[in-house]
Amino acid sequence: MARMKFICDAERCIECNGCVTACKNEHDIPWGVNRRRVVTLNDGVVGAERSISVACMHCSDAPCMAVCPVNCFYKTEDGVVLHDKDLCIGCGYCFYACPFGAPQFPSAGAFGVRGKMDKCTFCAGGPEKDGSKAENEKYGRNRLSEGKLPACAEMCSTKALLAGDGDVLSDIYRERVMRRGRGGDLWGHATAYGRPDAKGAPVLPAAPAAQPAAQKS
Amino acid sequence: MMKPLNLFFAAGAFAFAFVLSGCGETPQTNVAKAGQSAAKEGDKPYQNDQFKGNREEWAKTLRSRADNQNEYKRVN
Repeated sequence: MARMKFICDAERCIECNGCVTACKNEHDIPWGVNRRRVVTLNDGVVGAERSISVACMHCSDAPCMAVCPVNCFYKTEDGVVLHDKDLCIGCGYCFYACPFGAPQFPSAGAFGVRGKMDKCTFCAGGPEKDGSKAENEKYGRNRLSEGKLPACAEMCSTKALLAGDGDVLSDIYRERVMRRGRGGDLWGHATAYGRPDAKGAPVLPAAPAAQPAAQKS
Repeated sequence: MMKPLNLFFAAGAFAFAFVLSGCGETPQTNVAKAGQSAAKEGDKPYQNDQFKGNREEWAKTLRSRADNQNEYKRVN
């Protein structure tokens, strides 16, 4: 069974924001809502600057699902975390629970009123009929039902952002790390897909590849 | 023809029923249950004209598309 995942390779991301633009364009995202954004760490520090494209990671044990007071979240059989906007009350609990800041709240009027939560859907729409107008208006385009991957990953020029079945992605990433001989760390991967051990500490999933000492540059 | 007394009782019964209906209230609480999603069940992504309910075909299409992200296979 496919397990849909995102991987962002910080060694390759050039902070072009192509993924952000692709997402906004594909789903007609309103001003002020960013389902995906690029975060840069150590900005301007030579040799230490890294950029990462961040959105909903569709966690294995999603904290947003755990805290939602109206249980509007659900997970598809492919591991995509989605929500029902007809049930969402815009309370914002999911925003506080999410380690990636994925849930977004559109400004719904004056006095700081916020609307229903909006987040990355892995381009899988929502509970409405696939490809329907209602689904498009609420959740954006459903590319997964068209046999396509999320627009952000398909648009990525350096292929820093990868999306798809976890097994395929780890094969791609393993080959990449072996060829370049460094950069095996995956930002956010343990948080999203690791499982806590008996003491509550996150257990890392199997590393894509060990760094061969001989190939280090 | 209806007698005036019967008419009075009928009107009274109707008014009583109408007033009583104000006491009824539709539940406004959500049906959220712990550990169970209250969301509507969405369609499966392969249940459409393109894939005709064939999950294997859909997964194969996505897998090859994901595999195409590996530029080492495409260029070298």
